[in-house]
Amino acid sequence: MKPQSTWVTGASPLWETAKYAALTLFALPWVALPLWVLLVNSWKPDAEAATPSIHLPDTWAVWDNLAIVIEQGQYLTGLKNSLIVVVPVVLAVLLIGSMAAWSYARSKSMSLTVTYFITALSIILPPAVIPTVVLVTKLGLTGSVAGYIFALIGTRVGVIVFLTTGYIKGLPRDYEDAALIDGATRWQTYWMVILPLLRPVLFTAAVMTVINVWNEFFFALYMTKGAANATLPLTLFNFANAGMYGIRWNLVFTHVILTSLPLVFAYVVLQRRIMSGLTEGGVTG
Amino acid sequence: MTSLSNQGSLHRRGPTRTARAPRNTYRFWFALPTIALVAVFFAMPFVANGVLSFLRWTGFSSSIRFNGLENFRSMIALGILGNATKVTILFALITMTTQNVIGLVLAKALQQSNRINSVFRTVFFVPVLMSPLAAGYIWAAVLSPDGPVNQALSWFVPGGVSYAWLGHSWSALIMVGLIDGWKWSGLATLVYIAGLNGIPRPVTEAALLDGAGAWKRFFLVEAPLLAPAFTFNITVTLVGSFSALDVIFSTTKGGPGDATSVLNAAVYNQYGAGFFGQASALSSMIALLVIVTAVPLILYLRKKEIDQ
Repeated sequence: MKPQSTWVTGASPLWETAKYAALTLFALPWVALPLWVLLVNSWKPDAEAATPSIHLPDTWAVWDNLAIVIEQGQYLTGLKNSLIVVVPVVLAVLLIGSMAAWSYARSKSMSLTVTYFITALSIILPPAVIPTVVLVTKLGLTGSVAGYIFALIGTRVGVIVFLTTGYIKGLPRDYEDAALIDGATRWQTYWMVILPLLRPVLFTAAVMTVINVWNEFFFALYMTKGAANATLPLTLFNFANAGMYGIRWNLVFTHVILTSLPLVFAYVVLQRRIMSGLTEGGVTG
Repeated sequence: MTSLSNQGSLHRRGPTRTARAPRNTYRFWFALPTIALVAVFFAMPFVANGVLSFLRWTGFSSSIRFNGLENFRSMIALGILGNATKVTILFALITMTTQNVIGLVLAKALQQSNRINSVFRTVFFVPVLMSPLAAGYIWAAVLSPDGPVNQALSWFVPGGVSYAWLGHSWSALIMVGLIDGWKWSGLATLVYIAGLNGIPRPVTEAALLDGAGAWKRFFLVEAPLLAPAFTFNITVTLVGSFSALDVIFSTTKGGPGDATSVLNAAVYNQYGAGFFGQASALSSMIALLVIVTAVPLILYLRKKEIDQ
């Protein structure tokens, strides 16, 4: 009989080597190629980038491209608007979503069960964009990103509620009972007992929400009016369509890189926590 | 086998509740902000969209009135509803298949948590960070007639390849589906890894002791226990791609012709042309697709979970 360690992992060194060779061979066209094409072509002048290739540029135009994108591509406006949208949306959904989740997890009341069910439905049912545009107009929220922010909160909070309710149901009640017996108010119990316990699930939920909202294009296309209110995906889209002679890959790719950069930077910093959060079942709840 | 699977059931049961606090109105107040925002910005628009589908409402006339199924009828007569629905379903199937096949294979390969696997997991997750819009632009360049893919193929094919992958009806539809699948499969991978790691160790070890080979272990022991991960991934990927628009807008814009014109692209066209009622009708079609797909799928997969 083989030693225990081998049959628990069930793999021979040869098999492991073959596996990682296959994974590398797969990762090359799957991840490395598109990212490489993105990078090298963003460094080229117009003429060279007209035919996208995997070759390094003959003439480097990194700074020229950056200057054009920042100036004509409305990059800084887009960045400002994206931050104005993402920060309040993420903070709001985490706060109100976890508050609601605490109620849903601990209550058997029929009316709360029904609203929980509707909130959960909002995760899979498609957002109805046209009535939302009408609503935002009626509420007088056009001309700024305010209406867009509210629409995002209303359609994104469902995921937080769903994940967090499942998580709280798995927590013992003893902590909150103890806090209440010690004379804490409901708000204090939520803020000082429940919220800290939710940190792992809220971190995962926050990551998913940041990625989702940072890249949000569908609502932005309908709801944000004018270049002054455009978020980054919309500035990218407008910029890519602005060229009269088709897409200028070097500039579009420079914009793509600048648009993705804040997210990629955050990912690199938090990579280990994000991976462990997502693989430990944070998504399926 | 049955007893083992039961032991490994992934259902979590909450602790039994006995004590109840006397005054629970605070629960309503804590849930109120969410209830209000979901009601106003999700539920109301969703219902309103259904109503608008049956109204005659355009940008050229101030009169809005009920006109029954006329919006649907006109969209069918113009061939828009039928084509967009077909394209949307095919697109969603391609995307869903890509994500789940790639996701499951990568999850099996990268299931153990060790240093080298976490490097690979990190690499395969990078496309998830990209906006679908950006993913579309990148792949449009990679797949362009004189782009890198055709340049590589030209090494092997005499005479060279300059096929317009996004310029022919069928290849365009397959490619946009693959691009969307590419963008999301890193996430499906992580969900499957979480699912695989949720399978109790003694279950797979017992199967190993009973002499089950790797394939048998996977299909007879792990796959049934992965049911929650399957439910989540298949439903979410299918339903999510019914509402796709970004990838289409950054690659084919619905073309060539209307070969990749998914429902949301058709909604945008009708809306832009001032046919708000027709746009709502097409939008309701997406909701209908989601409902008829998600409900039976969730019920079926839930039943499978319970049957195990």
